[in-house]
Amino acid sequence: MTDLAKKVILVVDDEPTVCKSIREALLREDYEVDTALGGEEALRLSANKKYDVFIVDLMMPGISGLDLLKMLKSECPSSRIIMITGYPTMKNTLRAMQTGAYDFLPKPFLPSTLRNLVAKALGGGDTGSTPAG
Amino acid sequence: MPIRGMVRRFLDLSLRRKLILSFLAVITMGGVITLMIGTRIEHQTIVSLAEAKVRHDLASAWMVYHERLNGIRDLMQLSADREFITEALRTGRPDGLAVRLNGIREKYGLDTLTLTDARGRVIVRSRRFEVSGDDQSGDPFVARALKGQVTAGTQIVSPDELLKEGDDLVERAYFKFVPTPLAAERPEDHQEDGMMLKAAAPVTDEGGALLGVLYGGLLFNRNYDLVDRVKEIVFKGEKYKGHDIGTATLFQNDLRISTNVLDDQGNRAVGTRVSREVNEAVLGRGMFYVGRAFVVTAWYITAYEPIRDIDNRIIGMLYVGMLERPYIDLRNRVMATFAGLAGLCVLFLLALLSFVARRITRPLAIMIEAADKIAGGDLSHRLEIGGKDEIGQLAHAFNGMTADLHDAREDLTQWGRTLERRVEERTQQLRETQDQLIRSEKLASLGKMAAGVAHEINNPLTAILINAHLLLERCEDHPSSRESLTLIAEETTRCAQIVSGLLDFARQTPAREVLADLNDIIDRTVQLLEKQAAVRNIQIEKNLDRSLPLVELDKNKIQQVFSNLTINACEAMPEGGTLRITSRLSRDGTRLEIVFADTGVGIPKENIPKLFDPFFTTKNFGTGLGLAVSYGIIRQRGGAIDVRSEVGRGATFTVRIPLESGAEKSEQSEDMS
Repeated sequence: MTDLAKKVILVVDDEPTVCKSIREALLREDYEVDTALGGEEALRLSANKKYDVFIVDLMMPGISGLDLLKMLKSECPSSRIIMITGYPTMKNTLRAMQTGAYDFLPKPFLPSTLRNLVAKALGGGDTGSTPAG
Repeated sequence: MPIRGMVRRFLDLSLRRKLILSFLAVITMGGVITLMIGTRIEHQTIVSLAEAKVRHDLASAWMVYHERLNGIRDLMQLSADREFITEALRTGRPDGLAVRLNGIREKYGLDTLTLTDARGRVIVRSRRFEVSGDDQSGDPFVARALKGQVTAGTQIVSPDELLKEGDDLVERAYFKFVPTPLAAERPEDHQEDGMMLKAAAPVTDEGGALLGVLYGGLLFNRNYDLVDRVKEIVFKGEKYKGHDIGTATLFQNDLRISTNVLDDQGNRAVGTRVSREVNEAVLGRGMFYVGRAFVVTAWYITAYEPIRDIDNRIIGMLYVGMLERPYIDLRNRVMATFAGLAGLCVLFLLALLSFVARRITRPLAIMIEAADKIAGGDLSHRLEIGGKDEIGQLAHAFNGMTADLHDAREDLTQWGRTLERRVEERTQQLRETQDQLIRSEKLASLGKMAAGVAHEINNPLTAILINAHLLLERCEDHPSSRESLTLIAEETTRCAQIVSGLLDFARQTPAREVLADLNDIIDRTVQLLEKQAAVRNIQIEKNLDRSLPLVELDKNKIQQVFSNLTINACEAMPEGGTLRITSRLSRDGTRLEIVFADTGVGIPKENIPKLFDPFFTTKNFGTGLGLAVSYGIIRQRGGAIDVRSEVGRGATFTVRIPLESGAEKSEQSEDMS
């Protein structure tokens, strides 16, 4: 991983402020950050560009976070997908982890927490398929 | 109607009085009738006794009378045979005859003694020698003697004849009538002739030829020998209270000529006359008369019988009377004795009656009193009346009835109490159920809302939190800005915690139940908080039942509940105090009860229903979710939390956990998969 190969992250959340805030937080770490306000847009973007990490909100109108997770998992199996949600339930968490999410982050979170998690996802190799338990 | 009124008044009287009055009436009637009959019988007995006696006495008087008459007759007959008389008649020389005849007359107490010749011409009058030669053959006695018969009897003698015998006889015979109230009317007011006992006997020579007649007599008028002799012989001269007990009288016609009945001056009551009634019966009809008669001064039981002359004409009466007074007194004494006995009987009967009436009415009075008491509610009251009569049986039945009544009421009361208790229990359960229902409904809707709100709020919170931190990163050399930004970040974090708590509460994460000892959980909780409490001058006392059975529960959640309750209690005692934690088995043995009783400020009544509402807090710190979450946890386990409190008297929270784990488990087990 060199500077030339800037890591690319896509943030998917139906809330523009959330997308914008996350983007700001990650831009400090010299990542390339794109945002999408829904599942369709995210799929479109990911079709043209290879993203290293997806940060996906679990609850969105249209394609739900879980469905998107499944689709992204099948299209870009090497990408790490971090699920975020404002309504963290045991059921959702378990299901997300079982479906193949790298980790699960309940909203709200500190920028540092997110950065650490992303760094871990990027540096941690291909451990993403293992559920956190 | 006065009679009807009296009857009604009688019927209204008490039973005892009715009984006594009724019996009294019977006794009185019986007594009066007996007395009347007794009096009558007794009176008749005494009267007939007296009458029989007076008849007998009269018979005795007649004997005296006839004795006297026979005496004269015998005297005449014997004297007629005397030689000096026959000699004088035969010779016609009556010298010395008069003196001798007079001697005989005086010796035998006669008033007259006269000798006639064979033609009835008076030869010698012993009483008056100078009067002689008159013809006495017309005299019925002399006439019969002239025919050879000895004759004796009673005779009315005219004043002329009396005068021949002497002035004194005329005087003795003469009576002026003493006015007598009941006597029959008589035209004359005096009587001149007299009544005489007389006998005549023929004087004959040896050959039986009639020489003359000797006759003599006794004038009854004012001659009291006979009546006094009757009195003496028959009545022994007894007196009764100053009165002669017996009297005898000779009547010439209706006039008393010889008597020992005394008038009010104590003189012999000669010259008075007999009552009209006796007059008519005896003189008029020739009857034997017996009966009461008022004789001059007193009542007598009397007997009268006519005196007849030798021609069988009624010329007078012989009377015997017994003083009635002794008989009356006897009768009165008997009556008094009788009445006394009757009175004693009545008194005895009254006493007996009173006793019997009391025996009857006293138990009744006791029963009435008992009935009043029982009506007043005292069902334990018993009659203490023995005996095997109807009253005793009634009392026994009464007691039986009261006992039954008492038992029935006991049953009813018992049943009522049970019912009351059950109603109370059910009401309590219902109230609890309702409270729980309201609470769980509140919670359910709140949970839904909380989920939505949390989701919506977490997004802006995320933006704020991230941006605040980004800004913080940027102004590292700007301390005042940093401070503000730090505050923003921290408060945002707190918001996040509130939302998180709300979600915890709404979400009710599944329980992980294991068999655990509640006391262990309490011990651990206390251990964690003890020091903190001690600092605030709060003592925690444990009163734990170490024999409690193990139950299935989520230890962490339950500890959270106990911690919440302990912290709440400590916060309710800002000035210090005591928290007493008690564990025990519920009375019905189906639940465990853990009681947190503090001595703190207490909870106002109006706040109690809101205590378990989420976000309800009276503190200016905390989330207001502690009790709501605790309640949710306990309810999830199938239990409940109760609060009792009064301002200033502390608060008591009771956690009730069923021994059997709640039904909500299955729901959660799904979540867990």
